[in-house]
Amino acid sequence: MLTLTPELLASIDFPAMLDGLPIGVAVVDREGRVVTVNTALERLTGFSRNEVRGVPSRHVVRSGLCQRKTPSDTAQDTDIVNRHRRKIPVRVSALPVKAREGKTLFRLELVEDLSALREMERRLEEPGGVGKLVGKGPAMERILRLLPSMAQADASVFIIGETGTGKDAVAEAIHKLSPRSREPFIRVNCGPMPPQVIEAELFGRVGPSGEIIPGAFQRAGAGTLYLSDIGEMPEAQQLQLVNYLDEGAIRPAGSTVGMRAQARLTASSPVGPEELARNGKLRQDLAFRMGAFRLDLPPLRERSEDIEFLLAHFLETFAAKFKKQVRGFTPKARRLLLNHDYPGNVRELRNIVEFAVMVCTKQTIPPACLPGHLLAQLGQGLR
Amino acid sequence: MRNKRVLIPLFKNEVAPRFDLASEAMITEVGEDGVVGRTEDFLLPHAGAEGLCDLILRKDVDVVVCGGIEEEYYHYLRWRRVEVLDNVAGLARDAMTRLALGQLKGGEILFTREDPHAG
Repeated sequence: MLTLTPELLASIDFPAMLDGLPIGVAVVDREGRVVTVNTALERLTGFSRNEVRGVPSRHVVRSGLCQRKTPSDTAQDTDIVNRHRRKIPVRVSALPVKAREGKTLFRLELVEDLSALREMERRLEEPGGVGKLVGKGPAMERILRLLPSMAQADASVFIIGETGTGKDAVAEAIHKLSPRSREPFIRVNCGPMPPQVIEAELFGRVGPSGEIIPGAFQRAGAGTLYLSDIGEMPEAQQLQLVNYLDEGAIRPAGSTVGMRAQARLTASSPVGPEELARNGKLRQDLAFRMGAFRLDLPPLRERSEDIEFLLAHFLETFAAKFKKQVRGFTPKARRLLLNHDYPGNVRELRNIVEFAVMVCTKQTIPPACLPGHLLAQLGQGLR
Repeated sequence: MRNKRVLIPLFKNEVAPRFDLASEAMITEVGEDGVVGRTEDFLLPHAGAEGLCDLILRKDVDVVVCGGIEEEYYHYLRWRRVEVLDNVAGLARDAMTRLALGQLKGGEILFTREDPHAG
């Protein structure tokens, strides 16, 4: 059996051990200054360990308890405001590390990201959906049923759908339901941009003094990297993705050395991988690798049973947001909305309801409160 | 042109680590020539971002120097034409001196790593 001898303990690579932990850790000296932070805390706060060394921990962790006189040793739920101005719900606790004779050597401040937990709690209270995904018709129900099992598997997912069908929301829901939900979700739009720019954006690049400036892969860590409109990606970067999927390694722009990466890939496009490959927009080998799991999101016109549910859902959402007592649509406005074919899908429907609730001063929304383009288009057929 | 009015939310003698938790603030006038003028201290009835935003607008503040600030308040202040230098960590007087010299940028950590601090 292993014995923890002083020599063995002294040989432990402490920083590497901290980096392996899934929760944020700051090592803080007796003066309250940061000695070092682990990778998880770097990601959570947005500060690198080099820039915060020697800085009072309250200026680094910035939790809701940071201005208290004495740090509490018991775990407490609060929030932090990170460098990117995001408020993140966290659980913080402190653990004094003492020498054998009882003298405190340093303190570990533990910061656990509770976003996923809070998100799940919020989702459980939400009827008819997962995250921003809502729908009640058979097509959406099938997708909502499929999502958890797709999320649990680790293979790449390809999401297909017209604009406004909720591809981004599906990608985010898969991440949040997956075992990687505590890790970052990074979205990169592969829309037209020069190959050098997208290469640095995805794989990082070597900075002027030889340091690696992180790209999406490094920022995603062991989380999810979501590539929207993958068919727009230059071929050279598609090849780099194939290599990553085969070998689990990437090479930052300007570097000759590869580095390990762990992100799960999710991609989306208005058309399927086969069609993209046929049109020369996606390498065949990448199409095969990315298309293992695919989700086809039906356009709203093909799931008209959802329109009524979505109208009610967004009406409630925006009435609450704008603090208005709007309760429904007049029969004529409702008829107009149910007969529209929504080329912009759920996004268009949502925008219409948002506009209508915003301009409406009554309890029910009349046609006059609907956007002009809709009235002009629909007024011809429905009088 | 009138002097710039600069507000720093405070935690003891430091720039408060969080904008929304500060219940004290100082407003200092800084001349175009970099001369630091009169400083007024304010004690808010309770900590909160809304109260600070009210104070900033009521007192015609031009620049806010703060630690962590939520996106919502950052954009609100920017929209109200208040310059916000956030993610600044250090003693309030050091931040003010650097600002007056035109040398303060958002994201600066001004603590010299060995100096005593408010903790």
